[in-house]
Amino acid sequence: MLRKGQPETAGLLYDGTASMAPLQHICQMLYDSGFGTALRESDNAFSVVESVHVLSITLTVGTIVVLDLRMLGLVLRSIALTRLARSVFPLALSGFGISLVSGFLLFWAEAAKMYTNPAFRVKMVLLVLAGLNPLIFHTTVYRRVQEWEAKNISPWRARAAAVSSIALWSGVIVAGRAIAYFR
Amino acid sequence: MSLHSIFMALAHSALGMAMQTSKWDFAIVEMVHLLALAVLGGCVLIVDLRLLGVILKGESARKIGRDLSRVLLCSVVVMIASGVALLSEEAGKCYYSPAFRWKMALLASAVLFYFTLHRRALLRTDMEAPTIWSRTAAVVSMMLWLGVGVAGRAIGLL
Repeated sequence: MLRKGQPETAGLLYDGTASMAPLQHICQMLYDSGFGTALRESDNAFSVVESVHVLSITLTVGTIVVLDLRMLGLVLRSIALTRLARSVFPLALSGFGISLVSGFLLFWAEAAKMYTNPAFRVKMVLLVLAGLNPLIFHTTVYRRVQEWEAKNISPWRARAAAVSSIALWSGVIVAGRAIAYFR
Repeated sequence: MSLHSIFMALAHSALGMAMQTSKWDFAIVEMVHLLALAVLGGCVLIVDLRLLGVILKGESARKIGRDLSRVLLCSVVVMIASGVALLSEEAGKCYYSPAFRWKMALLASAVLFYFTLHRRALLRTDMEAPTIWSRTAAVVSMMLWLGVGVAGRAIGLL
């Protein structure tokens, strides 16, 4: 009986981890790689990359928040929303590019620990949601922006998008800071 | 009362005690500090890039500066309040930290510059094309605020 059950249990365990294992395996490989180890054990390089990461997030989130506040009608009401968006978008995007690259380098050095870090997982989920938010916004209410951008109050869908953008990006920063507390 | 004894009093205050004993108290205040930093950074960048003549060229620099100054000053206030709480956690260490001294000096310079020459540059530029002076003001402002951030990051590392 036991003998019969054993392979089954083993098979179940294998199936249970099979869906997770590749990702964890990749994380462990990155962690053990020469570059990952060197960055993790470096005196200054890790801190420098971390500082670049923090500053570029500041650039991204700060400029996005100003755009969100404009959409809520709280600042820069005299500037057309589309005009401000065109000016702010390249700033937010370049900041995001830098934070993505620096963030990946930090992940590379700590990948095996990040895999099990709850704050890191929350940050990734929030990051995806923060990215989806403008996609939804752009394909819906922003399409008719010409009709409402001159009005004093944006449609409720635009205001909802602005509030969720502020909330999601704040969540990314909070979860990102929390990563260090779960290490 | 010397500066050192003020720092010590802060470390031994109820606030300092709470910050030193609870990991998450410190974490939460740190998060608030970072959120305000992001807002401050965004405002400084937009105002100074306008002053440099890089973005929003047709719009009034005076208006942009005035509008975003409310947001900017709010975040500075939040940063200073949360910063005092963070300081209370390790006031003794910060008092001797060169990074902390640099940060305070740069912060004082940034705020002073913001209310004087930077303000003047915004008012003078208004709708005009940027001059060498307004451009210099923008670059100095960005450098000062960036310096505050970098020195702040260094406090935890040095």
